[in-house]
Amino acid sequence: MAPPCAHCHSARAVIIRPKNRHRLCRECFLRVFETEVHETITSTHLFQRGERIAIGASGGKDSTVLAAVLKTLNERYDYGLSLCLLSIDEGIRGYRDDSLETVKRNAQQYAMPLEIVGYGELYGWTMDQVVAQVGKKGNCTYCGVFRRQALDRGAARLGISHVVTGHNADDVAETVMMNLLRGDLPRLSRGTSIVTDSAASEVKRSKPLKYAYEKEIVLYAHHRRLDYFSTECIYSPEAFRGSARSLIKDLEKIRPSSILDIVRSGEDLAELVPAEVKGSAPVGGGGGGGCGSQNGRTSGGEMAEMERRLAGDEAAAGQETEIRLPVKTPARKNKQAKDQPKVKTQTMGKCERCGYISSQKVCKACSLLEGLNKNRPRMAIDVDMEDEESSTTLMRQMERVELG
Amino acid sequence: MPQKELVDPCSDCREFESILTQRNRRLCQDCYRRAVSLKVLRRTENYRLRKYPFPKTGPLDLAFPLSYGLSSTVLLHMLHDQLDVQLAKPRGPPGYNLHVLIIEPSTICPSSPSHEEGFEAAQKCFPLFSFTRVSFHDIFDFVPDILETMSQFAGSSFVDNPSLSNQERLAAFRASISTATSRADVDYILMNRLVVAFAKKMDCRAVLWGDSDSKLAAKTLANVAKGRGSSVTWQVSDGMSPFGLEFSFPLRDLFTTELQNYATFFPELSKIIIRDEPPSENTLTKNLSIDELMMRYVQTQGEKYPGVMLNVTRTAAKLDPSQAPMTAQCSLCGSAVLESDGESGFCYGCIRSRPESS
Repeated sequence: MAPPCAHCHSARAVIIRPKNRHRLCRECFLRVFETEVHETITSTHLFQRGERIAIGASGGKDSTVLAAVLKTLNERYDYGLSLCLLSIDEGIRGYRDDSLETVKRNAQQYAMPLEIVGYGELYGWTMDQVVAQVGKKGNCTYCGVFRRQALDRGAARLGISHVVTGHNADDVAETVMMNLLRGDLPRLSRGTSIVTDSAASEVKRSKPLKYAYEKEIVLYAHHRRLDYFSTECIYSPEAFRGSARSLIKDLEKIRPSSILDIVRSGEDLAELVPAEVKGSAPVGGGGGGGCGSQNGRTSGGEMAEMERRLAGDEAAAGQETEIRLPVKTPARKNKQAKDQPKVKTQTMGKCERCGYISSQKVCKACSLLEGLNKNRPRMAIDVDMEDEESSTTLMRQMERVELG
Repeated sequence: MPQKELVDPCSDCREFESILTQRNRRLCQDCYRRAVSLKVLRRTENYRLRKYPFPKTGPLDLAFPLSYGLSSTVLLHMLHDQLDVQLAKPRGPPGYNLHVLIIEPSTICPSSPSHEEGFEAAQKCFPLFSFTRVSFHDIFDFVPDILETMSQFAGSSFVDNPSLSNQERLAAFRASISTATSRADVDYILMNRLVVAFAKKMDCRAVLWGDSDSKLAAKTLANVAKGRGSSVTWQVSDGMSPFGLEFSFPLRDLFTTELQNYATFFPELSKIIIRDEPPSENTLTKNLSIDELMMRYVQTQGEKYPGVMLNVTRTAAKLDPSQAPMTAQCSLCGSAVLESDGESGFCYGCIRSRPESS
C-alpha cells in the first residue's frame, strides 16, 4: 500500500517531488506546482492587470506547461491578463515543422491566438539553409541572434511588449555554471534575473518558471496530459552548455536542492559583478549564444577554442614589459583624474539596414546575414512577398543585385 | 663551444639541455623551478617586502595551514626558499614569521594514519618557520562558542554530552549530519574556523592557503552548487575575509602538473607529502559529496582544458565583494545572512547542510 499524500493526507501519493522528495497525490502535486509559480509571479510583481502577454511557444514541454499554468492561474487568481502564443519557425525540417503542429493544437486547446514568425520570411534564410552554408559548427549563434530579433518582431506585430519564455530552474542553473566556465561576467549578472529588460530591446522578457524543476515540468505535463512535442533540436549543442548540463544532472542526484541552490548562488553572484562590467559585452565575443535546448552532447569546439585563447594570453603576458608612467605630481592630480577615460558604455541606436535597436551601426543579425549572403549560392530564393518589413525588403533588393 | 652541442637548449638560460615544457617553453630544471616559483614570489611580495598596509619594521606574523598535501607542501618549500634568500641579504626587508598549523590528519579521518614522520621532516626542511600541531577536536578550545553554534545548527539531531571527551563530542556532532555533501561542507567550515582562531591567537595579519589551481576551481564551482555564491570571493580570491584576516592563495596561477614537477626536484619533500588517493571508480555519483564531484569534474576537464578551469577562479576573483548588501554574519561559517534566510542566524548555504534539511 502506497503512503498517503503528505499534503492532503487522504489520497494515495503517486509522485515523489524531484525538488524535495515529498510524496504527493496527483491533485496536490498539480496544485502545489501551480501555487509555486503563482508565488513567483506575485512576489516579483511580474504582471500588471490588463497587460497583454505573448507566450514564446515552441511546442516543447516547458512552453506548453507555461501556457497551461498561466491560463489556469489567470483564471484562478484573476490576473486580468490577455494571453497569446508566439512561435518562431526557424525552418528546421523534421523538428520545427512537427512541433509547430503541436503549437497550433495548443492554440485551439487553450483558445489563445497564435502568431508564427519565420526565419525564412524575416531573413530570407531558414536554419536548414544556414546549416547547409556554415555547417553544424557555430550555427547556434545564428539561431540565437535570429531568434532574439524574431521574438521582438513577432511581439511588435502583435502590439505586445512583454514576452514570457519557458526557461526553467535547470536552464537558469546551467546558465550560471556555463557563464562561470566561460568567465562571462556580464551574462552572469543578467542570467538569473527573472525579467530581462535591456536597452537592446523594446520588449520585456521574463521567465515565470525560473524556480520550476525540469523534472517537475515533465511530471506536470504528464499528469495534466498536456499535448507537447518532445524531440530536441537536431543541430549541434554548445560545449559549455553541454558540460554544464551534465554537471548539473550529477549534482541533482547528489543533492536535489542543488538546482535551486545554484540559482540562488547565481543571484548572489550577480550582485557582486562590478557595475562597470555589468552592461558590457562579453570578453571574446561569443555572439548570441545558443537556445538552451541541447541535451548534453558535447562537441568541445568552444571549450577548445577558449583554451587556446587563454593559453595565448598567458604566453603574451609572459612577454610583457612593464611600463611605468612617470609619477604624477600632486598639483596635477585632480585634473588628471578628470581626464581619465571613462568606461565605455553602450549607446543604443538603430541598425542602419533594418532599423532594429543596436549598439553598432549594423545589428548583429544583419552582419550575420551579410556574411551569409556574400556566399549565397546561385539558387532560387523564395521570399514571402507579403512581408513588408524594411529589413526583408532591403535584403530582397540586395539579393536581386547580387543574383542579377 | 658548449652551446653548440646542446640538442634542445633551455629557452631561458641557453646553457643547459631543456628537460621540461612549461607553458610551451622548453626549460632546464633550474629555470623551470625559477619560472614556477616566480608566480608565487609575486603573489607574496606584499608580505615579504612589507608593502602597504603592512608595517615596514617590527614583526609581521602570517599563518599557514599545512595539510601534508602536494600543493601546500610545495608552497611551503617555495616560501622558505624565497625567505631564505631574502634574509641572507644584509639590509633587506625583515620578511615575516610564518606559523605553520597542522591539523593532525588522523583526527580528521580516523582511517588515515598519524603522520609523525611528516611532522619531523617538515620541521627539519623548513627551519625558518614555526610549527604547531593540533587535533581537529581542539576546535572546542580554540573556538569556545562553537559548541553552542553546533547545537543550534544540528537541532534535535545532536545532543551534547559534556561527560565525553572532546574527540567523542566532535565525532557525535559530525555523525549527526547524514549526507556526504553536508558532512564535507561542515568539516571544511570547522577546519576554517580552527585555522582562523589559531591565526588570531598568534596575532597573524593573514592566512596563506596552499590550495592548488584545481582545488580553487573545484571550490568555486562547489560553493556555487551548495548555494554559497555570496562567499565565493573570500573562499578563493586574495583579500579580506569576514574574520578580519587577509586570505591569500599564492598558488592560484600554477597548474597542478607544475607543482608535481617541482616536487620531483626535491626528493626530501616526499617524506612530508601524503599522496592523494586516486578517486575510486566504484563510487556511485549520488554517494559522492559535491566537493568530491567538483574535484573530479575539474580534474577530468582540466586534462583537456586546464586554462578554462584556471579561468573559473580568475572570474571569481573579478567579483567585487564590497558590492554585497551589508548584512549579518552566519554564526557557523561567517558568510552573509540575508533577511530572506529566516531568523536562524545561519546563511543559506549552512541551512542547506543542516541535518533536518539533508
